[in-house]
Amino acid sequence: MRWFVRQRTVSFNLISRRAYAREGLFLRVCRAVCMAAFLFCHPVFAEDYPLTRPQKLTPQAEKVVEQLGLGSWIWTTNFQEKQTCRFWKSIDVPANDPVRRAVLRITADNSYHLFLDAREIGEGSNWKALTEYDLTFLLTPGRHVMAVDGFNDGREAGVLLGMRIALASGKQLDVVSDDSWLVVPNTAHRWLSRSRPDAEWQPATIVGVVGQNPWWVNPVNIMTPPTLQPYELHFWKTTWFLGAVLSICIVALALSLWLAAKLALQTRAQELLDVERARIARDIHDDLGAALTQLVLQSEVAQTEFPETSTARGHFSQFCSRARAASQALDEVVWAVNSKRDTLRDFSSYLCKYAQAFLSDTAIRCRLDVQPGMPASVFDLSVRRGLLLAVKEALNNAAKHSGAAEILLRINKEGENVIVVVEDQGNGFDPEAVGGAGNGLQNMMQRLQDLGGACQITSGIGAGCRVEFRMPLAHPASRGGFSLRSLFNSQNGDTHERHDLDGQ
Amino acid sequence: MTPHRVETKAPQFSTESPLKIALVEDKRDVRESWAKLINSFPDFICMCKCASGEDALRTLPPLQPDVILMDIFLPRMSGIECTTRLKNELPRTPIVMLTASDDDDLVFVALQAGADGYLLKRTTPADLRSALIDVLTGGAPMSSEIARRVVESFRQKPRGHDDNIRLTAREEETLMLLTKGYSNKEIADRLGVSIETVRSHLKHIYEKMHVQSRAGAVARYMSGNHVGQS
Repeated sequence: MRWFVRQRTVSFNLISRRAYAREGLFLRVCRAVCMAAFLFCHPVFAEDYPLTRPQKLTPQAEKVVEQLGLGSWIWTTNFQEKQTCRFWKSIDVPANDPVRRAVLRITADNSYHLFLDAREIGEGSNWKALTEYDLTFLLTPGRHVMAVDGFNDGREAGVLLGMRIALASGKQLDVVSDDSWLVVPNTAHRWLSRSRPDAEWQPATIVGVVGQNPWWVNPVNIMTPPTLQPYELHFWKTTWFLGAVLSICIVALALSLWLAAKLALQTRAQELLDVERARIARDIHDDLGAALTQLVLQSEVAQTEFPETSTARGHFSQFCSRARAASQALDEVVWAVNSKRDTLRDFSSYLCKYAQAFLSDTAIRCRLDVQPGMPASVFDLSVRRGLLLAVKEALNNAAKHSGAAEILLRINKEGENVIVVVEDQGNGFDPEAVGGAGNGLQNMMQRLQDLGGACQITSGIGAGCRVEFRMPLAHPASRGGFSLRSLFNSQNGDTHERHDLDGQ
Repeated sequence: MTPHRVETKAPQFSTESPLKIALVEDKRDVRESWAKLINSFPDFICMCKCASGEDALRTLPPLQPDVILMDIFLPRMSGIECTTRLKNELPRTPIVMLTASDDDDLVFVALQAGADGYLLKRTTPADLRSALIDVLTGGAPMSSEIARRVVESFRQKPRGHDDNIRLTAREEETLMLLTKGYSNKEIADRLGVSIETVRSHLKHIYEKMHVQSRAGAVARYMSGNHVGQS
């Protein structure tokens, strides 16, 4: 529309230049008359004012307005091209008269965003069509804030809106676009959720009625989006719940970081401990062991320098066997603390050697049955030590009481357990009768149970004796040294370990 | 070479010439003590004392000792390496390892490297003497644990094309009995053979182990140097 006006203005300017050139009074008068007539007929264009002025509704348009419950085209007076114009209005739904149905129809030249209580209801950019929003479920009793964010690209500008609310009582409320809407300055913040208008906000201007040129009398199309449902606020969407989840996450993260740091430290400490153990074992072995060996050899040599019958030779002989025993004991200690020997394979070979050496002093033959290809699985130090003591005890009992000619030592691995059996075909005993205290059996069983193992004794008078030990490869309380308990409670773990040592 | 020693089954160390023992040990006191102990036996003489593996490689081959006693830990060249090299020079001379502790891993490696037996350093003079006799008349005694490892090592190898590194049924039976804790005497009784036969089985087992490990070494290093000797 504005384009048309400008063209005309330009043509008048051309005429007037020619007229001035001729300095003709008649022409000047003619021009003035024409201009006056034009201005009279088109006051808006003459002011170069882009907004349309409302006219009277035609009867046809009146019918449409009545049927659809529409208002007028509204805009702000400060017209600009590419302009955003915000409209705001609050409505009150009566508390004692709930809404039965509420339908809002809206369009804008050129586009709009519609909000209800700061929630975006919809948008549109076709001024030829109406959009019909069903807001029945959103208009709860109480105050609601409607807001429209309109945009005009150029030329005519306007927003047309009408909401028809049918109340339960049968009454009908119409909210339409008119000058009761307020224009919100574009600089205002959070205007969508304002429940009260600002004093500076100016009322909207009615720029046209339905059916006024260039707008339609009947909309080309009425679009109906699905009925809008109120937001359902589930408990997991509430702030306190999200806050709680967030804080739990933070706490968990912090805890896991702390545990990881502690684990790393502990792993490092364990490594250092292993290295230190190996070093001590090596030192003892190299220095003390070599010195003892030397003692044994030198006293053996010294012994030969005395006549066979002399008492000194007897003393040296005794000295020799003592030093030999000390050397052997030293080997055992080194074996026990050497972390290189923490495997099932080493344990089984050590146990066999021990049994053979122990029984070689007696008349009893030692028979071994070791699972071939015993794996080099890691065997926890405390369990290893406990099992060794228990097997020694069983061997001792068998050697002392069984009267058998042969003792069988059987070692097997079953899953994550090691099974050691000490078996003889000797006198046997009645487990019921001996079950009481005093024979070390109770102690033995208790010790193994503490370490997560089990001990089963099968015997009968004249039926031999079979003692079966079943031990886990790792101590249940310190599996790999990484259990949570050991992390949280390293102090207790230490005392436990010390207790084990004392137990020997 | 003196082939009669290894082939004979009856002890031949009674009267005329005492058997010559060579000793490789780095600690002077220990070396002297061992020498005195050996010399205290009427039928043995300590003919040579070496302080290092390098020394042993230089002096021992021309002297041709009857038995070499070798410390397993030697500075620079280890006893195990020295054993391997000496075996190339003196393939028929038995070498007995001396170890301070009863470490099966180490002993087994030494046996594979060519040792014919092993002794704990704290062993009694009587045991030392019988071990020397054992190694001269056949194989040195083998503990059940070492026997177990030998069995495993022979089972692990894929069946070789060389019959020398396969055990005979009797040898395997002997080994199995050893793993079960039987002594040489008990094995002899059980198999109905003499104790000398058991020792000779052991001797062959030791030899096959050397061949086997050398064959393995050849395969590993792709080197033909050791093949001529074996």
